[in-house]
Amino acid sequence: MKKRIVSVLLASVLATSLVACGGTAAPEAGGDAGAGAATEQTEAPADTGSSESASSEMTEVGTPRNETLIVETQTPTDVPGQFNSYMQGTQMGFGIHQLMSAMMWEMDTVKGEQFGEVAEGMPESNEDFTEHTVKIRQGIKWSDGEDLTAKDVAFTFNMIMNTPGIAQCDYYNSVFESVEATDDYTVLIKTKESFPRLALRMGVTIWGNDLRIVPEHIYSQVDDPSTFKDENPVVAGPYTVKSYDPLGKWILYERREDWQNTTVGVVTGKQCPAKYVWFRYLGDDTTRQMAMIQNEVDILCEVTPEILQTMMSSNDKISAWYDEFPYATSDDPCSKGLAFSQGQGAPYDNADFRWAIALAMNFDEISMNIFDGAGRSSPFGILCNTSAFQDLYAKPMQSWFEDFELDLGDGTTCKPWDGEYKNRMAEQLGITGDDAYLEDMFGMGCIKYDPEAAEKLLIKAGLEKKDDGWYFNGEPFVLNLTYLADTEAQAGRGVQAAYDQLTKFGFNCNISSESSATWDSNGGTGNYYVAGYWPTGFITKDIYSQINGWDADLIVPLGEIGSGQGSRWNNKEATDIIHKLSKVSPDSQEAYDLAVDFIKVQYEEMPFISFHSGVKFVPTNATYWGNYPNANNAYNGPWWWWSCFKYILVNFTPQ
Amino acid sequence: MKFRTYFLKRLLTWALTIWIGVTFIFFIPRMFPSDPVESMIGQISARSGSMDPQQMESLRRSLRVQFGLEGSLMEQYTTFLWKGLLHFDFGPSLMSYPEPAGDIISRYLPYTVGLSMIATLLAWIIGNIIGLLAGFRKNKKSSKILEGIAICIYPIPYFIVALVLQIFFAYILGWFPLTTTINNFQGTGVFVKTLLKSSILPALSLLLIGTGWWIISMKSLAASTAEEDYVLYARYRGLSEGVIGRKYVLKNSILTQVTALAMSLGGVFGGSIMTEIIFGYPGVGTLIQKAILQSDYNMILGCITISIVAIATATLIVDLIYPFIDPRIRYS
Amino acid sequence: MKKFWKNANFALKTGIIITAIFLIIGFVVYYIPHDDPFIFNTYKPKLAASMEHPLGTTSMGQDVKWLLIEAIHNSLLIGLIVATIGTVVGVFIGLLSGFAGGTLDRVLMVVTDTFVVIPSLPILILMTSLMKGKSTVILIALVLAMFAWAWPSRQIRSMALTLKERDFIQTAKFSGESTVQIVVTEILPFALTWSLSNFMNATLNAIASESSLAVLGLSPANLISLGNMIQWARDRNAIFNRQWLWIGSPIVATIVLFIGLFLLITGYNDYLTMKRGR
Repeated sequence: MKKRIVSVLLASVLATSLVACGGTAAPEAGGDAGAGAATEQTEAPADTGSSESASSEMTEVGTPRNETLIVETQTPTDVPGQFNSYMQGTQMGFGIHQLMSAMMWEMDTVKGEQFGEVAEGMPESNEDFTEHTVKIRQGIKWSDGEDLTAKDVAFTFNMIMNTPGIAQCDYYNSVFESVEATDDYTVLIKTKESFPRLALRMGVTIWGNDLRIVPEHIYSQVDDPSTFKDENPVVAGPYTVKSYDPLGKWILYERREDWQNTTVGVVTGKQCPAKYVWFRYLGDDTTRQMAMIQNEVDILCEVTPEILQTMMSSNDKISAWYDEFPYATSDDPCSKGLAFSQGQGAPYDNADFRWAIALAMNFDEISMNIFDGAGRSSPFGILCNTSAFQDLYAKPMQSWFEDFELDLGDGTTCKPWDGEYKNRMAEQLGITGDDAYLEDMFGMGCIKYDPEAAEKLLIKAGLEKKDDGWYFNGEPFVLNLTYLADTEAQAGRGVQAAYDQLTKFGFNCNISSESSATWDSNGGTGNYYVAGYWPTGFITKDIYSQINGWDADLIVPLGEIGSGQGSRWNNKEATDIIHKLSKVSPDSQEAYDLAVDFIKVQYEEMPFISFHSGVKFVPTNATYWGNYPNANNAYNGPWWWWSCFKYILVNFTPQ
Repeated sequence: MKFRTYFLKRLLTWALTIWIGVTFIFFIPRMFPSDPVESMIGQISARSGSMDPQQMESLRRSLRVQFGLEGSLMEQYTTFLWKGLLHFDFGPSLMSYPEPAGDIISRYLPYTVGLSMIATLLAWIIGNIIGLLAGFRKNKKSSKILEGIAICIYPIPYFIVALVLQIFFAYILGWFPLTTTINNFQGTGVFVKTLLKSSILPALSLLLIGTGWWIISMKSLAASTAEEDYVLYARYRGLSEGVIGRKYVLKNSILTQVTALAMSLGGVFGGSIMTEIIFGYPGVGTLIQKAILQSDYNMILGCITISIVAIATATLIVDLIYPFIDPRIRYS
Repeated sequence: MKKFWKNANFALKTGIIITAIFLIIGFVVYYIPHDDPFIFNTYKPKLAASMEHPLGTTSMGQDVKWLLIEAIHNSLLIGLIVATIGTVVGVFIGLLSGFAGGTLDRVLMVVTDTFVVIPSLPILILMTSLMKGKSTVILIALVLAMFAWAWPSRQIRSMALTLKERDFIQTAKFSGESTVQIVVTEILPFALTWSLSNFMNATLNAIASESSLAVLGLSPANLISLGNMIQWARDRNAIFNRQWLWIGSPIVATIVLFIGLFLLITGYNDYLTMKRGR
């Protein structure tokens, strides 16, 4: 009885006080969102009153649920109401670059090829790649009705080069001589030096690109484009901002009426099916999975297999890339594994030591510990074994990998390639299928588990084994492992599993997790020993943009942050290849051959031990929307957080 | 006369406390191994896959200048004391540059104050009433049951209580939203409705945990006061239990609790971190956590400074009104 | 001893038994030789309860029973260190400042107040990210203790201020006892009840703070504590996958531990009262 009184009391006091506090907060919120469309909505309460009876059909932001696509964003924005991509801190992944930005070239993630979005086709360059002619698509209009022309493109380039406050300013000035519109739909770009990768640098490859075309008639009126918030963005993409949370937890987008004139409309000729797209931040893992089970969100960015399993068993509308094991796609271009801070000196800068670590770990067990065996093995160091990589490079090089031998220092050798991994996993997990099927699922092979060879290599690298463990230079040797706390489950679990393996092998290990700020700066300064960083990638056949950071000329002393990779792998051969590659056309056979050479060099040296390619569990909920891309219908990859999301979204169907 | 000297002395202590505390928190984050500019570059390059070396170098240069991280530590410290303490101007937030940290904090502050302040106050009142009854009439069955409930709830870690409430009321029963969504653009009515709906669960979890401690501490205070001689005399004199409870036991044990309340009221900024995170509630607690993880010095300083000033002021007020509650204490 | 047990009330008995069980688990059973429970794949993963594994195994193939025992050991250790430092320092400073008065009081109180007004969780988060991998059980305990003494010392001081004006203290003062003597003989017993409940509270606070850090992913990654255990289970979605033994056992252990301590203290107070013949 007393309890009931207490709770009634509590509720009423809480209610009155919150109303009081709400009263002060509301005008501020209204002021923030003071944008035309948003304020007109003030009369809506009457409206929502009537819709309350059918409240199950409405979202919490007052849009009809069946016309709203709800997408999760992984972090709330710190700068609500800021939509200018050239201002510091704008969070592009909050739907801004997925729905509104105009890119020069977009990525077809299935083919691994770029296509023009604002540009009409690929650039045409002169012989020595210093003059590039880019045609602009006709028919794209800004959301205020103006045409998007070559002048907007040239203006954007020049705006970046003339605004010191924009982060890319110096870089653009160092690359470009001049950018001008020769007519309404042609842009002539002159570069200071030979620049064979214009589309790769200025267009999307992975995730997005810094170059986003802005409307000249808006941005030329602004004093400083690097401090202009752009609260009512005029965009070329298929959606505009309808409203946003002044506290940064959600943004509601509305489809443009003139969809034929949007980038997606012009490129595909199709209209996006959802009238509204609501990007929202959901919070921690528990909340995310409960929200999806309750159909409060249609697309989640990424979950762990445990969460996916729960969600799929609680709601049969929820599915992932595959309907059954492995559920996840293994084609995310960032493989995860162990990075060595080679600026720490011996033994970390010794290839024998790194190979020994690789051989000391049982990859089968690591696989089971990370994602219950799901994922394609990617033993190719800093190049990620996506299915494209496996076809383009790994398969043709298979015999080289199989024959590769390590000198163990005592006169014996060891062939570290283990091609049986896929069959062992298939047997353990009860998967049947032909070789090609298993190869796609588990990869061609992995690095062999050979603790004896590992011991010999460690001794070769100068370590000593005593009764109470390993010694280096007379001191007990402790292996320190670090990983990023809380996010990136694949990388974190990989390090935990490695800790487990290396402890069993006989090392004295330490493991710790770091918050993102510490993690990011340690990654650059090299202030770690062995850590779960992911300086890896593979997206286009040309690997230059993935490996140019490994140029040894970019290495700075430990403790400073250079522009190269924090691992500080100092290898002359690799550096030479990178230098040669930078001058070669990305489509040439020479570029391919150089890439093969690079892959061999870095496999021999093992600067990074890679476990699996990027394994992503990407759940979708088919209650309100369907035709999501999946393994059987792979018209695109499940990359909701990339700028190419608009080309995925256009294929969705209302249920 | 005497009161004035006491007052001035106490005011000096107040200022000193704030100064020491603020200095302490000014230097700690600066011993931090991570540099906000570097971590921002790290984040940007991690997000965009790879970045051209030259591009990164130029990015770094422009960020350093923008963040105003140039200048010696002493310069930064004096600027901070002058601007921060006297004008509550903590400079631009690094994670949402160039917005002033103070502006962002004031955007979040009403939500935290609204939620935690009320929850703390209610917890204090309810907890003390129950605690008093349990301590004073400790043989009654009802007080034993209430106390038992308090003991069982209190030790459960914050986030577990929040999690259980969330799973039960939001997920299984579906009465409340899973995460805070505040609809601000369809008028005040909708705004208040969504805010209320989103606030009840976090408030309840704060209340549940808060009450437990007040019950337990009040109970032990009341129980020991009830053993005092003057209470026994009062009993012999035939005063009713109600009068004894109010006049003797409550009056003598509430002092400690008032001090404690003053401090926990000021502590609401830090205290609700876990609850706010679980329910995605847009308060200062989440802001602090985010700022720490992203090494946003100005924001950390801003939040903690406000918190320090609030608690120090609350205790100052309590100390000044102390003698009015308990006439036995003299200003000295 | 026998007589004590006979006179002890129910709460005290229960409290003693529960606390003793935890102490035995944490400091006796813990030393029985066993496999390192942190190592993955020691057993089959996700086993239900059985004779061999009374609490089943985790998703990583660890034995939950031994994991729990080590967690109790480490968490108790952290809690006890923090509570001891916090209570001893807090009571000492509180009494000293309350009775000495004057300049000493003011200086002590400024320092104390500073530590009271600094919000502890944000600073703890800061400090632990600062220490990174170097943090050990002892170090974590010391950092937590930094904030554990200020509150009790302020509380004890205000208690001392009230007591100071009481008749029996005044009498003692007039009869020529020194301040230290008064504090030890007259005040300390009075403050003891409160200190005991503060001790229990500090133990729990320390355990809870450590769990909060663990949930934010900032407790040392290889420290087996009750908080980390909950966090690891949460990380592998144990709640929704219904691995109740794994996620439940550290939570239940925390709660039972507290109830045990609490009963011990209230029961002891009642016992003393009864013994004094009231």
